[in-house]
Amino acid sequence: MQVTVQLRDVGFGYGAVPVLDGTDLEMRAGEFAVFAGANGSGKTTVLRLCLGLLKPDSGSVRVLGGSPSDREVRRRIGYAPQGLRMVTSLPVSVTEVVAAGLAPTKGVLRRMDRRDWRKVDTAIEAVGLGDLSAECLFELSGGQQQRAILARAMVGDPELLLLDEPTTGIDRSLRPTLAAELRRRADSGVTVVAVSHDPDDFHEVCDRILIVDEHKVSQITHEEFHTHIETGGLG
Amino acid sequence: MSRLFLDFAVRAYIVGVLVGVTAPTIGCFLVQRRLSLIGDGMGHLAFAGVAIGVAAGFAPVWGALAIAVIGALLLEWLRTRGRLASDLSLALVFYFGIALGLEVLTASGRFSGVGFAVLFGDPLSVTTGEIWLVLALCLLVGGIVALFYKEFLAVALDEETARASGLPVDRLNVLLVVLVALLVAAGMRVVGLLLVAALLVIPVAAGSRLAHSFRGAMAWSVGAGVASSLLGLLAAVGQGDLAPGGSIVLTSIMLFFVAAAAGRRAARLHTRRQ
Repeated sequence: MQVTVQLRDVGFGYGAVPVLDGTDLEMRAGEFAVFAGANGSGKTTVLRLCLGLLKPDSGSVRVLGGSPSDREVRRRIGYAPQGLRMVTSLPVSVTEVVAAGLAPTKGVLRRMDRRDWRKVDTAIEAVGLGDLSAECLFELSGGQQQRAILARAMVGDPELLLLDEPTTGIDRSLRPTLAAELRRRADSGVTVVAVSHDPDDFHEVCDRILIVDEHKVSQITHEEFHTHIETGGLG
Repeated sequence: MSRLFLDFAVRAYIVGVLVGVTAPTIGCFLVQRRLSLIGDGMGHLAFAGVAIGVAAGFAPVWGALAIAVIGALLLEWLRTRGRLASDLSLALVFYFGIALGLEVLTASGRFSGVGFAVLFGDPLSVTTGEIWLVLALCLLVGGIVALFYKEFLAVALDEETARASGLPVDRLNVLLVVLVALLVAAGMRVVGLLLVAALLVIPVAAGSRLAHSFRGAMAWSVGAGVASSLLGLLAAVGQGDLAPGGSIVLTSIMLFFVAAAAGRRAARLHTRRQ
């Protein structure tokens, strides 16, 4: 399978505070990985390096065969940030938020056609917001807003999905459905990387659990993750 | 024939409607991005452009257009490079523009003739040539907003995600502030440089109270912008002693309070239905 994410000897710090040091990571098409661990351990930093929003101090980051700061590469990535980053000055419907995810792939000057709107509807249905598609996003619960943000990340059928705490605020009963949807996408060849402080949401469907420990990315089993928590290793 | 339908009044209605449609269209993106005051900055800077244009023998609008566009580019350059906080850079532009404009117009002995009209608007003296210019500017601004609607909306909703998804965010930001500069030049003769930003923002504030979607808010905002321009101009022409720019903006503020009350009532009904 094709390598989709590749970190080689990556070092990164915020000022004098080191976060990553000599980190390597390789992921392939169709893999589903969960980045677990405590807040501040560097999970989101890895995600932001893959998005090109941060530049490594040393080493190299390549995604989908190119540089993450290349706009053509970025168009093939679906990104869901942690929580609602939108300002609430004007009302915005769920449909409009999800459709915004198609803007980069659609191309400037090309209008949304019927097929695009069908994709938007499908993405909204996939996260269980079909009945609320015309509602104003800011009038929905935190979990419903998070689901809309996930739909926006998925609507353009990206080859790489980078999700930062995707289940924040989402009702526990709905999380298995979302996990199954992400697994389905991974099975179709999409690389899924989800940052989550609680990998229980995904442990039945993911291929790998990754942690940032002592400034390096390493892979652990689900049992090891819980042992780490119990012994305070990640807490 | 009633004063309300004399040629000068009809010309004023035409430019009023053109700016009333276009200003809230672009204003929606500014308000969503909390850049409501950028129109003010452009207006103040354009005043310096008017003064330089008049001193150099050009029509005021050309000077305003040139300096506002240059200022827009400079402002965005400073903002993206983090050289200045956005409110500080706007404040510098405000004071520089007004002070320079005042000095140049006063030195050329044209302040009383030109300064008042461009600062506060004078739609009742608009010529047919100026109507064509305002029409061209408004069509250009409206056309570009229509072409880049989905990109502007994606950036307005979440700039970082838009950037991470491959949209050319910096170029879109530059385009947006240049459109504001063009709109300021178009609105100069209608409500004046000191009040043109009000038409970018207040109808949008009104429209946002009545809608559940961005597109809906934009439609209501355009309605409020047109209604403000027409009702304000009708009041000014009919009464005779009112300043048209002021009456347009005061009308838009009244419409905002009407929309806010209607929006609260609609929200209560919506909640009850749920």
